[in-house]
Amino acid sequence: MSGPAELVLLLVVLASFLVLGTARLSTGVRAVAFQGVLLGLVPLLLFPTWSWHRAALAAGTMAIKGVIVPRFLLWAIREAAVRREMEPRLGYVPSLLLGTVVLAVAFALAGRWPVPEGGGTLLVPVAVATVVHGLLVLTASRKAVTQVVGYIMMENGIYLFGLTQAERVPFLVELGVLLDVFVGVFIMGIVVFHINREFDSIKASRLVEGAE
Amino acid sequence: MPQLFFAGLSVIVAGGLAALVPSRTPGRMERVFAALVAAGCVLVALAALRVLVGGDAWEVRVAASVPGGAWVFGIDALSAFFLVAIAGVGAAAAVYGATYLAAERSHGGVPFAHAAVAVLLVTLALVVTARAVVPFLLAWEVMAIANFLLVMFDHERADTRRSGIIYLVATHTATLTLIGMFAIWSASAHDLTFASLARAASTPAAGLGAVLVLALFGFGVKAGFVPLHFWLPGAHAAAPSHVSALMSGLVIKTGIYGLLRVIALAGGAPEWCGWTLLGLGVVSGVLGVVWALAQHDIKRLLAYHSVENIGIILIGMGVGALGTAYGLPAVAALGYAGAILHVLNHAVFKGLLFLGAGAVTRAAGTRRLDALGGLGRLMPMTWLAFLLGSVAIVGLPPLNGFVSEWMIVQALLGAGLGKGAIRAAVFGVAALGLIGGLALACFTKVNGVVFLGRARTAEAAAGREVGPGLFVPMLGLAAVCTLIGLLPAFVVRPALAAAEVVIGGDAGAHTVDPGTGAAWVGAAAAALIAFAAMGWVAYRVLMRDRSRVVAQTWGCAFSNPTPRMQYTATSFAAPVLEPFGAVAGLSVSHQGEEYRTHPRDPWLEGVILPAWRRLRAAVARAQELQLGRLHVSLLYVFATVVALLWYLASRQVP
Amino acid sequence: MSWSPLVAFGVTLLVAPALPGVATRTRSFLTGRRGPPVLQLYYEIAKLLRKRAVYSATTTWVFRAGPIVGLAAAVLSACLLPLDGRGALAGFPGDFVLFAGLLALGRFGLILAALDTGSSFEGMGASREAMVGAFAEAGLFLSFTALVMATGQPALTGMLGAPLAAGWSASLPALVMIGVSLFVLLLAEASRVPVDDPATHLELTMIHEVAVLDQSGPDLALVLYGSALRFTLLAALTALVLAPRGALAAPAALVALPMGLLVIAAVVGVVEATMARLRLNRVPQLLVATSALAAFAMILVLARS
Repeated sequence: MSGPAELVLLLVVLASFLVLGTARLSTGVRAVAFQGVLLGLVPLLLFPTWSWHRAALAAGTMAIKGVIVPRFLLWAIREAAVRREMEPRLGYVPSLLLGTVVLAVAFALAGRWPVPEGGGTLLVPVAVATVVHGLLVLTASRKAVTQVVGYIMMENGIYLFGLTQAERVPFLVELGVLLDVFVGVFIMGIVVFHINREFDSIKASRLVEGAE
Repeated sequence: MPQLFFAGLSVIVAGGLAALVPSRTPGRMERVFAALVAAGCVLVALAALRVLVGGDAWEVRVAASVPGGAWVFGIDALSAFFLVAIAGVGAAAAVYGATYLAAERSHGGVPFAHAAVAVLLVTLALVVTARAVVPFLLAWEVMAIANFLLVMFDHERADTRRSGIIYLVATHTATLTLIGMFAIWSASAHDLTFASLARAASTPAAGLGAVLVLALFGFGVKAGFVPLHFWLPGAHAAAPSHVSALMSGLVIKTGIYGLLRVIALAGGAPEWCGWTLLGLGVVSGVLGVVWALAQHDIKRLLAYHSVENIGIILIGMGVGALGTAYGLPAVAALGYAGAILHVLNHAVFKGLLFLGAGAVTRAAGTRRLDALGGLGRLMPMTWLAFLLGSVAIVGLPPLNGFVSEWMIVQALLGAGLGKGAIRAAVFGVAALGLIGGLALACFTKVNGVVFLGRARTAEAAAGREVGPGLFVPMLGLAAVCTLIGLLPAFVVRPALAAAEVVIGGDAGAHTVDPGTGAAWVGAAAAALIAFAAMGWVAYRVLMRDRSRVVAQTWGCAFSNPTPRMQYTATSFAAPVLEPFGAVAGLSVSHQGEEYRTHPRDPWLEGVILPAWRRLRAAVARAQELQLGRLHVSLLYVFATVVALLWYLASRQVP
Repeated sequence: MSWSPLVAFGVTLLVAPALPGVATRTRSFLTGRRGPPVLQLYYEIAKLLRKRAVYSATTTWVFRAGPIVGLAAAVLSACLLPLDGRGALAGFPGDFVLFAGLLALGRFGLILAALDTGSSFEGMGASREAMVGAFAEAGLFLSFTALVMATGQPALTGMLGAPLAAGWSASLPALVMIGVSLFVLLLAEASRVPVDDPATHLELTMIHEVAVLDQSGPDLALVLYGSALRFTLLAALTALVLAPRGALAAPAALVALPMGLLVIAAVVGVVEATMARLRLNRVPQLLVATSALAAFAMILVLARS
């Protein structure tokens, strides 16, 4: 596996740790944006065949994941007047410790999953770790905004996972990018309903309460 | 040899009997008791040392006239190592107890307490030397009962009674489990001696998995690792201080001895057992020290530290078991030897700390940390001994705690440099680091709040140094800590020999050269003491001709500080405990201007007691079936007879 | 014994008080001031050694022994590091445990000396020092263990010396992460921003400075030198990991030693100028994050081999 690709994947893991450990919401959003930019670079570094299609895809991914979605999220935070702390349910230290354990287990079990070898030794463990880190942030957060951040991380992990199949399945990468549209719906929800705390199901009564 | 050992035991028994003899001069029989027990312990230690320094292991069979087969006793390197700890700490505690309980003579039951201490020591020695099931279980049970009686010395107090009952329930659960374990194991053995159990273990029909699980549970309750530790803090705090020293230093180690002996007889622990021991060790170590930090009572704090140190011992045992399972003899030897050495080290420094806590309680009249202070000036000997014990328990150079910690880290590093899944064990080093750092926070808190600064209450200000009967045993134990730290090769070699017994002695230990590393550790300890001494001398020379100005402590121009303004133990521990959140078990109550914290044991009060209450409620409901009326009972008998007849009729005749 | 480790040891002891000066001067320079001279700490130590000491009536021998024990422990731990990049004055397998233990012993002495005064300020400082030490220890052990795994050498001489230079290219990301975590541990041990601000004069916001509030005269000189020496040792550790000198010949390695130390001190100054001190209850979070980083480095090293 080439050096730059490895470095980028390591930086992806460090970005997840930053989201798990930081107290500031804007730092968490920026970390996930940085992760998105890195993700745009990964297919370029992994599959050295150059094409305009590939380059455009990379640029588009970086634009959406790295610029548009985070900007949208920061705007939503301002509009809905969300408090600027991350407030994880578990606490910062247990989240970090759990994140480390997840990473160790992902590396330990990397060889055992029935995933075809595509992309080198680091891709599968980093992908799995990112998905689980995203799930961790998603389930253990008290606010809708951090849940969105967790969802974006999870989605980043799934995207990485999909890269192992990219050679075989056409348009997989493009479909991955379309998942970002779903993120937009979340964010609209926050702004439109001014939901500062979590939402777990969109019930009609909740909608009425939220609109008050 | 056998005669020396049994002679020593008889002398201890004689001491116990001497304590029961009524005498007109108060204290005379107690001095006789102390002298006899000390002499007996010296004899036992000599018998054990004989085996450790190159003697041969021996075994003695007593006639098979009682049911259950022949009674076999013997000393090998493993038993001998534990015997040395028992003899050393036992002698110190007995001598201390003779003076300590003298002040409670009006309480009644003091002679029985001394006799019970003698019984406890004898049964401890018998547990680690028994080589057959029946004498082992008999000694185990008598030890538990003697221990219970000693815990209940202050039985007028309600919390002592509660702790005693919880202890009794726990220890009998352990004994029942052990009986079950031996029953399963000896089903495939031809008689009840350990030698035939060892032979049976190599046959696949022995059910070794079930045996190991039951051993972990039964010996685990005695050893006191999480989650089986719930009886420990209450019992250790309620007992008189020398009994707490015996319990924490020796009795819980019989649980460790039992586990080691089972592993030795079973021919090595399987891999799952190693990982379980390692995991339990890490959890017990970290949780033990976190809960210790939250305590307000000095003896409960020391009891939780025993849980922590048992955790460290389990980490060593776990990596040792993994070493045998993965075929790394050096790792196995270092792991087990580090654990066994930590047994001795912990017995010595924990015994010392409990004796010190007893002296403090006697002098100041209270066990509450936040009521003490400034006792270092009033009790300099006790303070010196307690300080040395604290440095030892934190695992700092140049004392003995550092040596065993170093050995266990070496074993973990060896595991990391091996091949296969065992390499994940190296993360245990982080746990040891965290445990060490938290232990440092806890013991600086205890030393600082109890001995330094100024007394926070009038009772503490009235404390005076205790008599030599109390501080001489403490200083003796402190001297042992220092000696082991300076000359570790003398204990590392026997520990490796004992580890060899556990591994199975097939050339394992000889791959590890105990000489070089241990000699360096000793040299470093000596160098540290030398540098510090030189620094002190140079400092005195520098300051020789300068006058000293004595003033009040700087309080930012506040000119009237009172002792109550000093930092309390609770405040000291608060920043360290805060990141642990609910796990620390600290509940805070706020009433007007008062702010109190209550340490709870989350496992005892969150899991065990609610489960017990639910069990009692379910049993109460079942009790309704026992209505106590005659015709209902007759109906039950009738129904049972009918059921039996139907069963007998419908069964296939074989 | 060869002369190179001995000279390196002497140079380290001599250069130690200059490093906090370099850090402070860099910080001042970056924030638009001129700052104190780089050699300021030397002048202060010399001045303090000439003075009398003022002792509180509450203190005992512990107050005077604490700084001495701390200094002895720091000097002994300097003997364990291969300061010239090739060999230490003494070493044995597992000696990093001794290194960490000696630093902890110094902290122990400092905390007890603080509690000896019976002052609430110093009690607060002692409590905070204990907190920082408790969480830093795990990170220190993890960093050392990761180095052992990366180089296969159980002694400090080996894992920081020539074998490290050989193994650098193989595990570069892991070693960079170990270097970064050692740097954060340096900031914790030397009480620098973001763990503690040495330039503040509000006692309620201090950690280290308030724990030594009552020390004066020669005692304070010993404390200042001891802290500078601890700063230097951890800076040397960081420099040895990030820029292994094993391949250099002896004289070049000896010149590289103070240069590496000064560079690390300057980086500390840059960090101090750009960051604010963390809220006190965030400090354990920072230290746990550092431990997680070192654990990640160890996972990478284990996964690779």
